[in-house]
Amino acid sequence: MGTGTTINIKKGLDIRLAGAPRPNVEELRPSGLVTVYPADFKGIKPRLLVREGDVVKRGTALFFNKKSDSLRCTSPAGGRVQSIVIGQRRMIERIVIETAGREEIEEFRKHEPESILRLMRDEILATLLTTGLIIYIRQRPFSRMADPLAQPKSIFVNGMATAPFQADPHVCVRGYEAAFQAGLNALTRLTNGKVYLCIDQNAHNPSPALNEAKHVEIVRFSGPHPAGNTSVHIHHVDPIKPHDIVWTVQAADLVLIGRLLVEGKVPESRVIALGGPGVREQARSHYRVRIGESLGHIINDRLEEGEQRIVRGDVLSGQKASRADSLHLLDRVLNVLPEGRERNLLGWIMPGLDQHSQSRTFASRWLRPNATWPLNTNMHGSKRAMVLTGLYDRYLPMMILPDFLIRAVLAHDVEEAIKLGILEVDPEDFALPAFACPSKMDLVGIIRQGLAQIEREGV
Amino acid sequence: MVEQIHNRFRPLFERGGPLHIFFPIFEAADTFALTPPDVTTGAPHIRDALDMKRTMMFVVIALIPCTLFGMFNAGYMYNTVNQVEGATWLTHILRGMYIVLPIIFVSYLVGGLWEVLFAIVRKHEINEGFLVTGLLFPLTLPPTIPLWQVAVGISFGVVIGKEIFGGTGFNVLNPALTSRAFLYFAYPAQISGDNVWAVTDPSIFPQGYTGATSLAAAKAAPPGSDVFEVLREAGFSLKDMIVGLEPGSIGETSAIAVAIGLVILVITGVGSWRIIAGGILGTAITVLLLNTLPASVRSTAPQLNLPFYYDLVMGGMFFGIVFMATDPVSAAASTPGKWAYGFLIGFLTATIRAFNPAFPAGNMLAILFSNVMAPLIDQIVLAVHIRKRAAWKGVLNHA
Repeated sequence: MGTGTTINIKKGLDIRLAGAPRPNVEELRPSGLVTVYPADFKGIKPRLLVREGDVVKRGTALFFNKKSDSLRCTSPAGGRVQSIVIGQRRMIERIVIETAGREEIEEFRKHEPESILRLMRDEILATLLTTGLIIYIRQRPFSRMADPLAQPKSIFVNGMATAPFQADPHVCVRGYEAAFQAGLNALTRLTNGKVYLCIDQNAHNPSPALNEAKHVEIVRFSGPHPAGNTSVHIHHVDPIKPHDIVWTVQAADLVLIGRLLVEGKVPESRVIALGGPGVREQARSHYRVRIGESLGHIINDRLEEGEQRIVRGDVLSGQKASRADSLHLLDRVLNVLPEGRERNLLGWIMPGLDQHSQSRTFASRWLRPNATWPLNTNMHGSKRAMVLTGLYDRYLPMMILPDFLIRAVLAHDVEEAIKLGILEVDPEDFALPAFACPSKMDLVGIIRQGLAQIEREGV
Repeated sequence: MVEQIHNRFRPLFERGGPLHIFFPIFEAADTFALTPPDVTTGAPHIRDALDMKRTMMFVVIALIPCTLFGMFNAGYMYNTVNQVEGATWLTHILRGMYIVLPIIFVSYLVGGLWEVLFAIVRKHEINEGFLVTGLLFPLTLPPTIPLWQVAVGISFGVVIGKEIFGGTGFNVLNPALTSRAFLYFAYPAQISGDNVWAVTDPSIFPQGYTGATSLAAAKAAPPGSDVFEVLREAGFSLKDMIVGLEPGSIGETSAIAVAIGLVILVITGVGSWRIIAGGILGTAITVLLLNTLPASVRSTAPQLNLPFYYDLVMGGMFFGIVFMATDPVSAAASTPGKWAYGFLIGFLTATIRAFNPAFPAGNMLAILFSNVMAPLIDQIVLAVHIRKRAAWKGVLNHA
């Protein structure tokens, strides 16, 4: 095995959704408010280190973890703590920081990209913990924040974006190529195993930062979505076996880690994509925005008329959001879709030239195979009992039988679910099977609950 | 406009409305006319346009050629047997409709009542799977079937075969075949034998008309005889069996009509081609093996000399493998399982036909038995899969 390996993924589907973001980066003028959601650090008990009205620098710790005080979350912006919103059961919902005038910045140690290769593992981890940027390193199974005490057998950097629509990593690293390489260098110090960088064989806007990355194993993937999903990468390169731990990072997130190490400052901005059929044609693009920027500000007047749904994440696996929300730390893309509440006459028999489907019962599948579709959020049917048909198989390019895995989870048969591979997957991997499911099952939710149950009860 | 009418009546059926307990009926009628207005609640935020309604309707569409030809054949048999003067294809059709439509109507009406009753009591929506069951069942019956038996049969199939398990998706056996099997064992005189395949005018045939199906004729060939000769003397040519102008259950006689249904099911992807292919393969291989039995054995049971394509066009085999075996709820679900399941049906049908003199219709029993075996087949596939998974080390390490 060497650099230049290509893995062809055959199963899957590229949904031809209208509204792809253009590959250029527009600067978005900051709104002056940034928001931090402690809930992004799932599983920790945050204790506040600031009060409303306090002046903070960019990089000042806002709260730490009561469970282990080495983990801190730092402010992505300098300014004044405008408000701290406490929700139910005294949970800290969000911390809002108002920026004004010249920004004060906390200094951390700066490194040359090459010297990072000689740093100690603990030193890098300590930096990531005291800044909170460790949140960008995820751990499988369960896709949670990396546990610094764990020894990952390998680390996977995801440089792909196959779901409609994700931010293009090649675009996100633009201008920060050295920082990206610095991030890769840091990762090589965190594992005794290999660091794999998975990239798209057919990337549209290739960046040498990814295609010619050093000190890591580059693995190229080709084929339809979910060829870009981290689970697929791990499964085909270095599959998770019982008791294995694998760390994963998104390429766009690695830029932030790299910037911290090279610049010695907590990064203030990142590139996100704004796409989907609900976004105006000319506004579908990538934007450089403040971390924690308000969605209302980003979206502003960029949407089409009518009732629109804002999704943080891609349309397959993202979450519903509103203008009142802000970017969460792990958000890399916003998609907007029209809410589809209109009803069609006799949908069960119409030829369906105007309906998008993978089913050959629709004329569009035969006559308009290359059309792009401004899809909306309509369910296109009502929920029905699960029927094991083998249909889901076509959309999961892993050695996993999705029908039977789902059935095992529904039966709360944890042991069987583990044997069938639940620890290798993430809920997002079941978004495509759920998209195609004629019974309109909530496969993503079922897998999420199954994983949560196993995480709670222990493997 | 349709939407306005629906919106006007909706409050009557919604929670708190006077007709709330009948909500499943409203829901069925409502979503039958218009696709539901529901939007996705979470990921994925977009959904494919296909739903269960459309899937099931395409099975019904695939059954239309068999239904139409079944009517024609029933009328044709009536006019031929009773030697009706001046019969034309139009009178065949009209007579056939007169014979067959009441059977279909009773099946839908009685089965539909059960379906609605369970939907109301269980507070779930009416399942469109019934549209298929309600049509499949009559097509497996002889045209002379008494209507009360249709009612009893479909009741048994829907209630015992499906609803007591929890409704569509949870049943072990194919409901339509369960209905037929019930009638077959409860009232054998009206569903099997040689007297039931043609509707007769009682003034001409007070005892009914005696006319064997091709399958029965072949099986009745005396030891040492030439089975092809026997079939020819009984009036069956291979062409008749393919076209389907012969005695038999309403929907299954025409291999051509079934083949049209097969093409619809496979092209639209609604029916599993693997199950069908497995079934044909299972029949072919089994019969080819039977053909190689020593001549002394074959002369005692001359039907063992028939080539496999006879087995496909005689009796309910082809109809069963295309429409009954492909019911995804009662079939195996894994890809290798589908092949094995289809193969098992073909193998069992051919074996029962060859060696069991009591049941000429081996296909029904073969499918029901395979329905029961399907979970076991999947379990074996799963065990192999789990072992293969444990050994999987990734593409790179296997290259």
